[in-house]
Amino acid sequence: MNGRPAPDDRLSAYLDGELNAAERADVDGYLAESPEWRAERDAIAYARDMLRRLPVHEAPPGVWEGVLSPELTRARARRRSRLPRALAAATAAVAVAAVVIASLVIPSPDRVTPRVPALSDSHAVRTSVSDEPVSQLATLSMITPFRR
Amino acid sequence: MAGGVPTWEEVARDHGRFLYNVAYRLAGNDSDAQDLVQEALLRVRKGLERYQPGSLEGWLARIVTNVFLDEVRRRRRRPADALPEDPDWVLPPAPAADQVFTGLSDDVQAALASLPEEFRSAVVLCDVADLPYEEIAESLGVPVGTVRSRIHRGRRLLRNALVSTGETA
Repeated sequence: MNGRPAPDDRLSAYLDGELNAAERADVDGYLAESPEWRAERDAIAYARDMLRRLPVHEAPPGVWEGVLSPELTRARARRRSRLPRALAAATAAVAVAAVVIASLVIPSPDRVTPRVPALSDSHAVRTSVSDEPVSQLATLSMITPFRR
Repeated sequence: MAGGVPTWEEVARDHGRFLYNVAYRLAGNDSDAQDLVQEALLRVRKGLERYQPGSLEGWLARIVTNVFLDEVRRRRRRPADALPEDPDWVLPPAPAADQVFTGLSDDVQAALASLPEEFRSAVVLCDVADLPYEEIAESLGVPVGTVRSRIHRGRRLLRNALVSTGETA
């Protein structure tokens, strides 16, 4: 119409007061000229009014007790968090299993606990009977701290 | 209400009726509306610290609409879960043989339930929750132009549905 875009979805915005002044003037022009667009406006206005006149739908008796009951709220929260918690538990289980398996499979280094006093005594006995002066000094060095 | 931020109990007590109404208009039945409200209130409780004093009912309407759309998306991903239980989520409620619609609002609600969810959400936020287009756009994460289009197309579909049920000439 006159090279202008037809109002179409601007009609709802027009009814809702959501158009700026220029857009509103444009739609007013269409409505003044076109009986089809006035009929379209009336049809949209009818649907809009029907929705806006819908009464508030009241919750059935007992609904609020159910909706707000701590048990139900907690149960819903638990359901919501079930997956992340299950994932966390599975991850922890895998980690524990990995540690246990690693401790069984990987050999630990042998610990050596030399019996120093016995070895020292044995060495002292051997050097005392061998008459070998250097080895005899070795016995003394084990017993006496080295000092400058 | 300390510092303009309501407590969880105040939200439920003072705005529960509004929240339930929006949930019902979105879901189309009491059972699903109850679930939506409960989930919405959980999100409200988590989000109260971040709530900026303003239109509390607008904030609540946005939360419950997002709960609704999340649920719609979830059911679309797992349609086998949704359809046998409650086809109302994706199809207009079909009246049982012995069910007689009483009153105009039932017909309007049925027509509303027949709208695609994206259109229904925009229309409910506009005509039931009374939010401005900009807030609706923010709630739905779409441009204002898209909101305008969805509201208009939703209303047109609704009007056609009402015509087909003989509610209007």
